[in-house]
Amino acid sequence: MSLISRFLNVFRRDQLGREFDDEIRFHLAERTEEFTGRGMSSEQARQEATRRLGSQIRLRESSRDIKVLPRLASIVQDVVFGLRLLRKNSAVTGAALLSLSLAIGACTAAFSLIDALILRPLPVNDAQRLVYLTFTLQGAGAAEGTAFNYPLFERMRDVSRSQVRLFGMSHQTRREATFDDSAGRTERIYAQWISGDALIILGVKPALGRLLTAADDQTPGQHPVAVLSYDLWSRRFNSDPRVLGRWLILQEKQFQIVGVMEKRFTGAEPGYMTDVWVPNMMWRQEALSSSDWSWFRILGALRPGVSSDQARAVLQTVFTNFRRDRASQFGGTQPRARIEQYINTPLHVRSAANGPSDLRREFERPLWILGLIALLVLLIACSNVASLLIARAAARDREMALRISIGAGRGRLIQQVLVESAILSLASCLLGVWIAKKAAPLIIGALSTSQTIVRLDLHVDWRVFAFLGASGALTTFLFGLAPAFRATAVAPAETLKSGSARQSVRVKVFRPLVAAQTAFSFIVLFIAGLFLTSFAKLIRTDPGFDPNHLSVVDVEAKELKPGDPKSLVAWDQLLDRLREMRGIESASLSGWSVFSGSGQNLHVQIPGRAVEAFEPYFLPVSPAFLKTMGIPLVVGRDFATRDAQAESPTAVIVNEKFARRYFPRESALGKRFFKIHGFSTLVPQEIVGIAGDAKYNSLREPTPPTVYYPIQPDGWASLQIRTMLDPPALAALLRNELPRVHPAFRMIDITLQSTLVENTVVQERLLALLAGFFATVAVILAAVGLYGVLSYSVVQRTREIGIRIALGARPIRVVGLVASEVAAVTCMGLGAGLAGGVFASRFVTALLYEVKPSNFWSVAGPLMLLLLTCVGSCLPPALRATRLDPVTALRYE
Amino acid sequence: MSRQESFQGSLPLLVLKILARRGPLHGYGITVRIEEISEEVLRVEEGSLYPALHRMEEAGWIKAKWVTTQNKRRARVYEITLQGRKHLETEERRWQAVNAAVARVLKYA
Repeated sequence: MSLISRFLNVFRRDQLGREFDDEIRFHLAERTEEFTGRGMSSEQARQEATRRLGSQIRLRESSRDIKVLPRLASIVQDVVFGLRLLRKNSAVTGAALLSLSLAIGACTAAFSLIDALILRPLPVNDAQRLVYLTFTLQGAGAAEGTAFNYPLFERMRDVSRSQVRLFGMSHQTRREATFDDSAGRTERIYAQWISGDALIILGVKPALGRLLTAADDQTPGQHPVAVLSYDLWSRRFNSDPRVLGRWLILQEKQFQIVGVMEKRFTGAEPGYMTDVWVPNMMWRQEALSSSDWSWFRILGALRPGVSSDQARAVLQTVFTNFRRDRASQFGGTQPRARIEQYINTPLHVRSAANGPSDLRREFERPLWILGLIALLVLLIACSNVASLLIARAAARDREMALRISIGAGRGRLIQQVLVESAILSLASCLLGVWIAKKAAPLIIGALSTSQTIVRLDLHVDWRVFAFLGASGALTTFLFGLAPAFRATAVAPAETLKSGSARQSVRVKVFRPLVAAQTAFSFIVLFIAGLFLTSFAKLIRTDPGFDPNHLSVVDVEAKELKPGDPKSLVAWDQLLDRLREMRGIESASLSGWSVFSGSGQNLHVQIPGRAVEAFEPYFLPVSPAFLKTMGIPLVVGRDFATRDAQAESPTAVIVNEKFARRYFPRESALGKRFFKIHGFSTLVPQEIVGIAGDAKYNSLREPTPPTVYYPIQPDGWASLQIRTMLDPPALAALLRNELPRVHPAFRMIDITLQSTLVENTVVQERLLALLAGFFATVAVILAAVGLYGVLSYSVVQRTREIGIRIALGARPIRVVGLVASEVAAVTCMGLGAGLAGGVFASRFVTALLYEVKPSNFWSVAGPLMLLLLTCVGSCLPPALRATRLDPVTALRYE
Repeated sequence: MSRQESFQGSLPLLVLKILARRGPLHGYGITVRIEEISEEVLRVEEGSLYPALHRMEEAGWIKAKWVTTQNKRRARVYEITLQGRKHLETEERRWQAVNAAVARVLKYA
């Protein structure tokens, strides 16, 4: 009650003051009357009455402190005052707001991404008990396998029932779907095949209808039911509740819509949202019975009281036994050690509290690094604003001195300056959130490739709020405290006497700020330089083929059966037809596009030698593939149409890497070797040509030994078309032409080979792009900061400089005089930045490509750039100093 | 100084008692009453009376309203509240217990 009235009284202080005055006036009047009644003169009586009451001002203050919350009242007062000051100095305020909100915005954007991708737990029941299974992949670095086959899953699920409730979820894949109202038009959606009880174990709820249950996942092909995502339901169906009972066609199967997922659950893998969930049993029959078909992740909820180690022990046994059974069916061609390795592959139980995510594995480190860079930029901005505020506070020395001398406490003055800083940082936070809201989706866009669209739920949760609050408070104190102490450390007598507000602030106080700013800028610049050089080197890497003017088209022909001679003829006719067309220089086929992420690795055996664990890459191609791709044929011949039908041995073309690796001392041409199919079938191969080295799936990795073999296309292939036509024009052409060759042909996707190549450097591009942006901001902030400090210093030393000029100092001496203020600290800052940069670079080496932090130019580049920036921002104020007119300068103030 | 402070602690008690006995009074009236009753032994520091009154008001023991006196002056008169009466009762008991204890010590020490 009292607190509330005191709080409310804060806002009616004026009235309280008047009431108090009235009350005291009454008291004095009565007292005076009493004293006059006792025979004093009215003058005497009034004096005595006043004396007895004591200091009215003090009385008034203490009474006010009782009636209102004094702290709050003074803060409200400071806010009003602070706002007025900030408005008055609009240039300073604008500069401070701009740099702070940019930095806070960048930090918040980075953090909200980190939150959405890395920190936030899945919105499911008891996320902490959620796990997923992985196994060690040989020769894949730290990456682990996450794809399992159905028979193995069934065995593991049944054996471990009392430890963990396992369920399977396929990777979200983009599929063509037809809805009942779409009149045959296909739409692209992300579908996910899941165990029937997956959603129940996850504990998510339907927004409408029902979710899938275990009963929906019993018999292959018998459960045509689907659950829509909330997003698809609201986007595609306008949240129409009558959607239940309608249907869609997916993978040639018709599904009835039985429910809509609750809004907050968008799938178990952050980064990718699911549109439609359907039961595993509705996936292809073969995939459910074959151990060769690994196509889904296994997740599970640990039973209460069971640790992931206990679950792992049980599951490892099943996993090992399963692999031992399979290995016993292998022939004798595999090296013993490799089979052992295969059987004894370790299985891992990993926490899926925030969802298993390939995206996170790829981007976790880059995002943290970008977050830290953004934080450095924030620190730079803070020291910048601190300089600005100190300089401005200097102008207020007299005001402060006056307030101290009439009895204001130092704490009270610090509070006032801090309140001002808090207003600034609060405003910056608000602006920053706005910037982050605009920027974060752009960054997500940069994570996406033309093949996979990254969709992240970016809603602001308490973590983002806490982060914002923390950065707001941090910045307030970082840039506010120094000016606050500075401003209040005035000696009132000195300051007021000297008549000069500027005497007491020396440039000295800026030095730590300048040094810190330079150091941080150097670190940001250095790291950004490494990323930029990496990216530049990466995209300038010669892939071994010419990706320009090369379109790749995925073509489907479902009716063409494999092995049917008619199929081969149809595809051949398609190529012939294309090659005749105007504007098309060359065309060929391959099983899939290079740099699409697909690949085939098989063991090979060179006659007379043991099988190596290493697996070269294979790619099925048509004649003219090398020519279309722009890969040189070094020696030998290209494929001919007959090669595809020829019996053993298969004619193959290998790249030079392959030739050198397997036939180091002789010409590989005409040599034979075996490729090993499955685990035991030996297929003889004869090398008819040697091609130049061309990369397969990654610019970063060295070109792998590669074998091209004749394609026997069936229902699916990729076309390479070298043409000056742009994709839309080519697409129009093909849409016309394909059905004419054979009605079965249908164009699925068209893109540029160069786009596919770019898709593989998304991580590097993101880092380069954002680090480059941050570096630019950092350099600008550093330049502005230095410029501001020096300009201030010149103004402050006007008299001194004037005297020196009057005494005959040459301009160069004057420049030196001014620059020396910051030269030493800038160099110190650079030194500290160098040390910091070298330290920080250890965490980014893994992300670099052909760039070493210890390279001369890696260090010298940013160093020179920053030095130039410093000199550039020092020059204008220094030159201004040389042009000072001594007479005016001496009269200054 | 010490005299004032020890008195200061019991000032609210005296004010509450006076208001409870005599009904609503203004600040000046309270000063005069205390001086009269205690035969000017307890001279109220006028400077501390008003803060004390305002503190009690905030505590909810007394409430204030503006009235016009016979000589047409606007005065702020204070009145004890129910809560104030309860507080007075407990404070009075405590005060007497302390006094009795001090008296015993003085007598038998």
